[in-house]
Amino acid sequence: MSGLDPIGLQVWSAALGAVAEEMQAALVRAAFSVTIKERRDCSTALFDGQGRMVAQSHSIPVHLGAMPEAVAAVMAGGAQPGEVWIINDPFRGGTHLPDITLVSPIAVDGVVVAHAVTRAHHADVGGMSPGSMPAGARELVQEGLVIPPMRLAGADGVDVQLLELVLANSRTPDERRGDLAAQLAAHALADDRLRELAARRGGAGAIARAMDDILAYAERRTRTAIAALPDGEWHGEASLEGDGVTDDDIVIRVRVAVAGDQMTVDFTGTDPAGPGNLNCPIAVTRSAVYFAVRVSTDPDIPASAGAFAPITIIAPEGSVVHARPPSAVAAGNVEGSSRITDAVMAAHALAAPVPAEGQGTMNNLTLGFGDRVYFETLAGGQGASATGDGPSAVHVTMSNTLNTPIEALEVAMPVRVERYAIRRGSGGVGRHNGGDGVVRRIRLLHDAEVSLIAERRRSCPAGQAGGGDGQMGVTLVGDHPVGGKWRGRLPAGTVIEQRTPGGGAHGAA
Amino acid sequence: MPTTPHDQGDGVISAVHAALAHAAIDAREVVSVAHGMTVGTNALLERQGARACLVTTAGIEDVLELRRQNRAALYRLDEHHPAPLIAADHVVGVHERLTPTGVEVALTPDELARTVDAVRVHDPEAVAIGLLFSYRDATHEQLLAAALRDALPDIPVLTSAEVLPEIREYERIATTVLDAYLTPLLARYLEGLAMRAADAGLPEPIIMQSSGGVMGLHDASRHAARTVLSGPAGGLVGAAAVARQHGAPLALAFDMGGTSCDVALIEDGVPARAHGRVVAGHPVHLPMLDIETVSAGGGSIAWADGGGALRVGPRSAGAVPGPAAYAHGGELPTVTDANVVLGRVHGTLGDDHGITLDPTCATQAVAALATSLGLSVDACAEGIIAVAVQEMVRALRVVSVQRGVDPRPGVLVAFGGAGPMHACDVADELGMRTITCPASAGVLAALGMVVAGERRDHVRTVLLGVHDTDALRAAVHALVRVAQAEIPGGRIEVQADCRYAGQSHALTVAWHPEDAPEALASAFHAAHAHASGSAMPERAVEVVSVRVAAITDGPTLEWNARPVPDGRVNGPASLAMAGSTCWVATDWSAQVYDDGTITMERA
Repeated sequence: MSGLDPIGLQVWSAALGAVAEEMQAALVRAAFSVTIKERRDCSTALFDGQGRMVAQSHSIPVHLGAMPEAVAAVMAGGAQPGEVWIINDPFRGGTHLPDITLVSPIAVDGVVVAHAVTRAHHADVGGMSPGSMPAGARELVQEGLVIPPMRLAGADGVDVQLLELVLANSRTPDERRGDLAAQLAAHALADDRLRELAARRGGAGAIARAMDDILAYAERRTRTAIAALPDGEWHGEASLEGDGVTDDDIVIRVRVAVAGDQMTVDFTGTDPAGPGNLNCPIAVTRSAVYFAVRVSTDPDIPASAGAFAPITIIAPEGSVVHARPPSAVAAGNVEGSSRITDAVMAAHALAAPVPAEGQGTMNNLTLGFGDRVYFETLAGGQGASATGDGPSAVHVTMSNTLNTPIEALEVAMPVRVERYAIRRGSGGVGRHNGGDGVVRRIRLLHDAEVSLIAERRRSCPAGQAGGGDGQMGVTLVGDHPVGGKWRGRLPAGTVIEQRTPGGGAHGAA
Repeated sequence: MPTTPHDQGDGVISAVHAALAHAAIDAREVVSVAHGMTVGTNALLERQGARACLVTTAGIEDVLELRRQNRAALYRLDEHHPAPLIAADHVVGVHERLTPTGVEVALTPDELARTVDAVRVHDPEAVAIGLLFSYRDATHEQLLAAALRDALPDIPVLTSAEVLPEIREYERIATTVLDAYLTPLLARYLEGLAMRAADAGLPEPIIMQSSGGVMGLHDASRHAARTVLSGPAGGLVGAAAVARQHGAPLALAFDMGGTSCDVALIEDGVPARAHGRVVAGHPVHLPMLDIETVSAGGGSIAWADGGGALRVGPRSAGAVPGPAAYAHGGELPTVTDANVVLGRVHGTLGDDHGITLDPTCATQAVAALATSLGLSVDACAEGIIAVAVQEMVRALRVVSVQRGVDPRPGVLVAFGGAGPMHACDVADELGMRTITCPASAGVLAALGMVVAGERRDHVRTVLLGVHDTDALRAAVHALVRVAQAEIPGGRIEVQADCRYAGQSHALTVAWHPEDAPEALASAFHAAHAHASGSAMPERAVEVVSVRVAAITDGPTLEWNARPVPDGRVNGPASLAMAGSTCWVATDWSAQVYDDGTITMERA
């Protein structure tokens, strides 16, 4: 049973959660790039001295379970209090190369009581195409600069040589410098806040005990939620529609087993990693699983290592859900993760009420105009549930980033948005209809390097309980359909149109 | 005074009559009537606004439904955003297109005529016009507005360039739509109010805006979006006046009622300002006071979650049945019940409520929860308060610490039915040492109305370099001319929303247009360093928008209350106030004044 009383638990949870939120606010406020400021593609968290996640900002789900590996890698590297370490290597705790993670150990009275973590999507970290999300990449090194766990800052300030190396490998070095400075500011803030908390609430020992109790609490609640599910085994499946190199389906197979208050999510039987870059490092797979479990159990449980403790994940090494070097992984974070979520939710649907399938993709578009790079993801239809229609024109699972306003986009980039609309009738038809996707039609005003990565271009989001399927997505380049993955140079005047998938319906019409 | 939903204007004037009768003052002696209201917010929540049409650029007709593409709740996948205030079948697309640099598709006379016909078939009660890039060129919107006003002379026709000429189409158009949706209703309400005031021999009321400044009734009735937060603004302006009276350079307003808690930052006696917020799920991007609201009030219900933690809210017992202590059938323990159990409040709740508190009912409710958590009744009651206080402290940190302001040297101005009860706990958590509880919440809002000056705000997106001095000054002067015409002789404040070239969000800094561009640049560097910890003086600075406000200062009211003899009280103690109870915690001492104000200091 917990050492903290029911009151102390809430008071400490609120205090540590507030630090994570404040870090997030500071990061967004100070950042430079559209990706972080407009789309909020970043997350912040506090870990305990042992490297267990205790509090996370309310940010994007794809970062949910993806930080612990980064903290473990930095701790193994020998990080000391007062230092800030940097990492993006997907095989040593990262997710994909654009996500740069900073980790800083925080000591009070000479004891490391916490680790502050910030993760932000940097719009370009080099590689074979602008935006570092190249469709068709075959190995990690083609996707950009790989940063193993390294000391970025210490008592003597930022390591200028390392910083210059990182900036020299980006097409947009100034923006990177600004965004990294914003991340560093959030770390300084976390340091201040934890010291203040320790001073007011009983020192290093009190912080450590409170963190233990918060983790035990989240674990208790998760176990209670899992125990409420029926015992048994369920199977789910989802496919990636090729990966930009092969056109063959890559199948994710999952078995979800509930026994008492424990859950096993087993990907044995999943296809091997593909030659392209839709492969998921284990950190991404964990995030996708935690998201699916959270949605189908109790979303109110604070996201933390405790909440994840009752869940065992089995992911065969070398499979598409546990990629190993030298696999390329850039789009695993956006697309692979969406398909994993759908597979796990499909299995869950048999045990708990979850919505029909949503669009299951983020419809990633990257445009490179020389030194200017633009990346966007597009919303689509959400699946209907037993209680109502699915929402239209929203991000459905692992992302929840904002769109870029047409006016902001056209001021910043040489493009014209010709149409941005709800794709009426694209949601599945049933007792409750699936949500509709969107149509976004963009005309290039300059020549551009273009990379498109999307799923659901040859299969439909499934309906549930007799409800109809949502319509699949369509991507047109110069008004010709191009399938889900496409990369090339396009002349000024070319039109790119994405029609995103609708969600599945729930119940027969 | 009970609200009269059918004709709220009636209730307002009756209340004025009652107050005048009480004070034995004749209506003809009244110099000024100022009014704040929640008519707009209520209509929004109940979706009682007008049948309106939206006219927008062809190709983006679904702009209201597309919103910003994020979902309503991160982990509850079936949750919907509120439906747009104008449905898709009442949106008319116009073939025209402006770009960041000019006109790509001109608006032809034929298209103008076709648009008017397409709008007219809907027989709308209001029309909103919002076209792409109208913030930089309003010509097309103006042509459409003129034609629609000719065709539909009896209804409001509002353009986005007039309501909010700022970049970002969704926020600009949604704000214009909200304005169109609420304006007919608000206009009817205010006309009725003006008539009743005239009948009663009172001067025409002036109206509190969300910005904390007042404006004439007829101007207010033309743009409902400007007064959507009129109600809470009054109390906050009153709190700022109290901060000035007490000579506090830094204060936090803490207004805790039965179901929610509004907090705000006050620096140098001026409430912090925001450029917009979301109201009932709809964005309102207009200058307003920066108020953070959390659902934690005296009626918030305490409960035990599945992991054995004590939680408070967001569910509230509301006015009916209310806290268990009201003995109106409520059985669930609330924050108020916890205070009753601990003896911090007893007897009758305020003179105007007339509710007698029943400690037995409160204890029963808290005891049931205490048992399930394995706590004593007193520990449980203390816990309920501690957890509720955390929620309020979080909101207060958002408006202070997250804005780069250290709250510790400030004064906590606590009001609302439950504010003075929790002020010491909140101050202790924030490390604040001084509290002022103004005489009463009702008086505070009234004080706000009296001391509020007139205010008109104008904003315009310019997207210019900080060194494009002539163009910047021209843009500012154009706005200044408009503002001066509205408030002749008013003080003019100019601000600029600046960012480093390449950044996407801007910081607002004060600016004197006659200063050299370097002055604006260095003001921005300083603001950036303050907000984010670093400045980049080598980078080019860009001005996104310029802001101009014309302001008159309201009257300064001296606070000349005197300490009550024997009015010094050391905690723990509870002191009755009009409409609330003040709790003086251990280590705090209170001073009561003859106007009912209570100040507290930490030992």
